[in-house]
Amino acid sequence: MSNALEVSHLTKDYGSFKLDDVSFTVPGGTIMGLIGENGAGKSTTIKCILNLIHRDGGEISVFGRDAVRDERAVKTQIGVVLDESSFHEALNPVQIGKILSKLHPNWDGKCYGDYLRKFELPEKKAVKTFSRGMKMKLSIAAAFGAKPRLLILDEATSGLDPVVRDEILDEFLNFIQDEDHAILISSHITSDLEKAADYVTYLHKGRVVLSEAKDELLDTYGKLVCGRSDLERVDRSLLAGSRVGQFGCEALVKNRHTFVRRYPGLTVDPITLEDIMVFTGKGDAQ
Amino acid sequence: MTGLIYKDLAVLRRQLSTLLVFIFVYGGFCITGVFDFSILGALIAVFGLTVPMSSVALDDAAHWDRYAIATPAGRRGVVAAKYVFTLLVVAVSVVAAGGLMVCLSLAGLTKTSPEDLVLIALACGVLTLLLDAVILPCLLKFGAEKARIISMITFVVIFGGAVLLGGMAKDQFALPQPPEWLLAALPVLCGLVAVIGFFISYCVSQGIYAKKEF
Repeated sequence: MSNALEVSHLTKDYGSFKLDDVSFTVPGGTIMGLIGENGAGKSTTIKCILNLIHRDGGEISVFGRDAVRDERAVKTQIGVVLDESSFHEALNPVQIGKILSKLHPNWDGKCYGDYLRKFELPEKKAVKTFSRGMKMKLSIAAAFGAKPRLLILDEATSGLDPVVRDEILDEFLNFIQDEDHAILISSHITSDLEKAADYVTYLHKGRVVLSEAKDELLDTYGKLVCGRSDLERVDRSLLAGSRVGQFGCEALVKNRHTFVRRYPGLTVDPITLEDIMVFTGKGDAQ
Repeated sequence: MTGLIYKDLAVLRRQLSTLLVFIFVYGGFCITGVFDFSILGALIAVFGLTVPMSSVALDDAAHWDRYAIATPAGRRGVVAAKYVFTLLVVAVSVVAAGGLMVCLSLAGLTKTSPEDLVLIALACGVLTLLLDAVILPCLLKFGAEKARIISMITFVVIFGGAVLLGGMAKDQFALPQPPEWLLAALPVLCGLVAVIGFFISYCVSQGIYAKKEF
């Protein structure tokens, strides 16, 4: 299984914000979820991959080709869905299809049309009449129509209702049935990524906090729920963050199996990606 | 690149149709004697400047550029398409306005010869290209909103200068007389300056866009 995307030591310095030494890999046939709070660097990372901004350091390769040196070849392999629709309000899906067919050498009009019908998008109505969900579906249909091997989606599911999100996640899962395909999706709706992602990279303040297989991550990390006195006797090096409330304490356990062996009397619950984000973010704030 | 030009045509279809109607409406005004026929030449400059500007303004509003750059067209393709589209608009304007002026001249509705009217249309086309050569890099660097002020200043300086010189000549102000050979070569020289200026402008815009971040 070859890598669809390799990001290595990526750096971008804006002065007030720095994307610092970001590295992760998206293997073929998988979905990589890029999570992190607002301003963590998810969109900046995606912009660097798409060469929308110039990186200050690091390497990015897509299917073994450098994203800058072989830009055109790389972009023929990529389908993109950005955080908001980029199509002119006056255009309709048919016109958009015609435009994109001339921009993407691998364009598949039938595939695009199939997705328009599947998503029940009116082909002759102007984009200005579309809801946010419809615009996002149109962007996704356009991305699939480009016949990409790598789909890159920046907050593509935010603002959509759960039914539509589920429908779209199913399409993503179908897409990666081919081991030659892969998806990088950034989102702060972590429940979506728990459903679909194979790997998760968590960005916090411009740095990679963790980048692992999702199942391994959810199996390794755990949530300790205990009283204040119990928390005080726990070895802090086993915890990645904690919250002390009026009625009890919660803590993020780095390795639940090791922890349970050492503290058999304490209960460690399964954890969600959201818990990991909240503990890390709030822990940092404290 | 053809996709990007088609996009501009599709997005501006209504505006382009309206502008073509303008040519015929103004043609009617010329026939009835309300305006001089040279007003049709001025329309070339109006179209050649406003259409590329509208195109960039609509791209800005839709955040289209960052999407287009993420396609195989890339930054170079986006700039090249904008310049080809501008050339097309100027060419179509020259043909439409010039053609109408010649038709009206052949129909005996003006005393100006068809050859002179063709020259007027071409001169306006050349001037418009020069103005676009200044405005397009500004549009691509600053966006339509900020570039509008720059384009207005350019327009006022060039046309204001021309009116001022004309007025001075009319008042028999002693302007230096250019040599005969220069006057004879002026149309070709102006054409060359416009083409070279447009090409330099294209290279400058490519440089600007290569550094731009989206």
